[in-house]
Amino acid sequence: MSSYFEINELKAEIEGKPILNGLSLTVAKGETHALMGPNGSGKSTLANVIMGHPAYEVTGGEILFEGENILELDPEERARKGLFLAFQYPVAVPGVTVASFLKHAHDAVYGEKKLKAAEFLKQLRADMDFVGVDQTFLNRYLNDGFSGGEKKRMEILQMLTLRPRMAVMDETDSGLDIDALKVVSMGVNKLVGAEFGLLVITHYERILRYIHPDHLHVLIDGKVAFSGGPELVKRLEEEGYDWVRNEFGKEALMA
Amino acid sequence: MSMNDTALAEKASETIAGFTEEAFSALTQPGNPLLRGKREEAFAEYLRLPAPHAFDEEWRKTDPALFRFDTWSALPSAAAGSVQPTDWDSAFDVVVQVDGASVSIEDRTGILSAGRAYVASLFDAAEEHPDWVQQYLQGAALPASTDKFTALNGAFWNVGIFIHIPEGTKLEKGIFLRYRQRETGAVLIPRLVIVAESGSEATVVEHLESDDEVSMGVVSARELYVDQAARLKFLTLQEWGRGTYQIGNDMAVVQRDAQVDWITLNLGSQISKLKFGSDVAGPGSSAELDGIFCTDTDQHIDQTTLQIHSAPHTYSRLLYKGAVMDQGHSVYRGIIQAKPGAIKVDAYQTNNNLVLSNGAIADTIPGLLIDADDLKCSHGATIGNLDENQVFYLRARGIPEHEARKLLILGFYDEILDRIPYASIRDRVHELLVEKLDRVL
Repeated sequence: MSSYFEINELKAEIEGKPILNGLSLTVAKGETHALMGPNGSGKSTLANVIMGHPAYEVTGGEILFEGENILELDPEERARKGLFLAFQYPVAVPGVTVASFLKHAHDAVYGEKKLKAAEFLKQLRADMDFVGVDQTFLNRYLNDGFSGGEKKRMEILQMLTLRPRMAVMDETDSGLDIDALKVVSMGVNKLVGAEFGLLVITHYERILRYIHPDHLHVLIDGKVAFSGGPELVKRLEEEGYDWVRNEFGKEALMA
Repeated sequence: MSMNDTALAEKASETIAGFTEEAFSALTQPGNPLLRGKREEAFAEYLRLPAPHAFDEEWRKTDPALFRFDTWSALPSAAAGSVQPTDWDSAFDVVVQVDGASVSIEDRTGILSAGRAYVASLFDAAEEHPDWVQQYLQGAALPASTDKFTALNGAFWNVGIFIHIPEGTKLEKGIFLRYRQRETGAVLIPRLVIVAESGSEATVVEHLESDDEVSMGVVSARELYVDQAARLKFLTLQEWGRGTYQIGNDMAVVQRDAQVDWITLNLGSQISKLKFGSDVAGPGSSAELDGIFCTDTDQHIDQTTLQIHSAPHTYSRLLYKGAVMDQGHSVYRGIIQAKPGAIKVDAYQTNNNLVLSNGAIADTIPGLLIDADDLKCSHGATIGNLDENQVFYLRARGIPEHEARKLLILGFYDEILDRIPYASIRDRVHELLVEKLDRVL
């Protein structure tokens, strides 16, 4: 099987400090992968590098999406190829309304195939209902004064709006109460399917009760230290994250 | 005479090129005696007051020598053609067109003939309502002694407009003043007086335009009088061409329980040196002052705002937002003044600046003059570039970088654009900003 989304020997640093030290993992089409690891292991750096944040410098390796090395693409080109990052800390954008932002994003990603304004709005309203975002948010400034939970729902709403083919979720579960977590997971699961790849970056096993991964990777010191299939996921579900901690030692997994 | 007095006397003897004793005599003969009296009073002040110099604090960032009055021949003639109507006109009750020095007034909804407002040239107003002109022209808002250019305006104004809203009258649509200047080499000297009598409500909008090729000077002065419990909304969209150099001085006096909402949109001109503000002069009065500015190429916009509180229990809020690009330069000075006895005052001032190019400069200079206690007063200023995390966030959603930056800059202005009471003007400002941004980004 040709690879769908493949990270090979990725090395990256920020402000001269190496964070990723030869990270490799592969997500096949239709699969959901979970990436776990302690603070400082490089989880968020990986998410930002995948999307092309200019503050991070890639010093080696490649990221292939459908055979193309996306490291050579601008962030907007990656998004237009069908890549999506749900941010851990979505920034507030005062002055730009949710409706305007989503329409611009939709138009940019879909280009010629974009929906007409009325059609777009209809779909958007349906998606908002689905993830429990009130319609009044359309006219609010993006993430401005939103609670943590509202911001995360907004990320999922954006994901539903743009319908990516490969998504990375960077600790979307952090700071969510169980109800919000269920809603967010429901939104994600709407996209999960044969034509979709998903990489869930998380600190906690909790979200994996709602979004079921096919594979699990453990990230330590900027490298995948351990990977496994369904049996590993099952063990994690049964024994919790403590098991990983015992396996790899407390020092490495200090939270 | 002390050294200082001598120096002052020498400076005072300076006249602005073209605005001499001879020019003044020619202008005022014979003329309406009331207006002539006002002009003479102003001319005496104009001769007495020192000419500004680059070493004056107020002119430190904008050298007055940049205003080449020697290249402009005093007065614009009455225009040959007439200004074409625009599709904005239908949003207003009255449209005033100023073309060169000629003023024409269109009473679109019949409010003038019904006596629900009075709009006239100052020449007509002096004949028809001398008591009003006597009271308000060069009145409490801008006395002739204000400064040399205000006095020059008082002595030499060549476009005069007087607007009076009678007691308790509420205008549904508003009054639109459209300035189109096409004559190169002239100095336009407009004087605008607006009186909103007690309990009245009105909106007055000015739109200032000239072609880039037209080389001209503007020395403007506006006096706004907002009487008890009246509400005046005043908006100026300044899109002068790049050959226009403007010096302006405007002031609103707001009486008990009255309110002025004042929006300035300074996007055009080559150099503008503007001073304006409000005096909340009666208890319970308030002023809401909003402004945007944007300079590109080598434009220079220097603005001073005044929030004067001369009465207790008064409120003023100011928000000025600007962006500078290319070699553009903006200067903002914000002065809050609470006079003795002005207790229970709330005064807020915010000035935010985006510096979008390496060669561009934004200066912000706050000033507080407080002679009272028991008041709430705050001011804040920011100068910075766009937040790169915001840019990345938008790009991560597929929005191209230049589009992302444009959206963020328009977003920066949005809360003020949102307060513009006419969709047509909002759209125009949006369009002007997009033109500038598309060229630079």
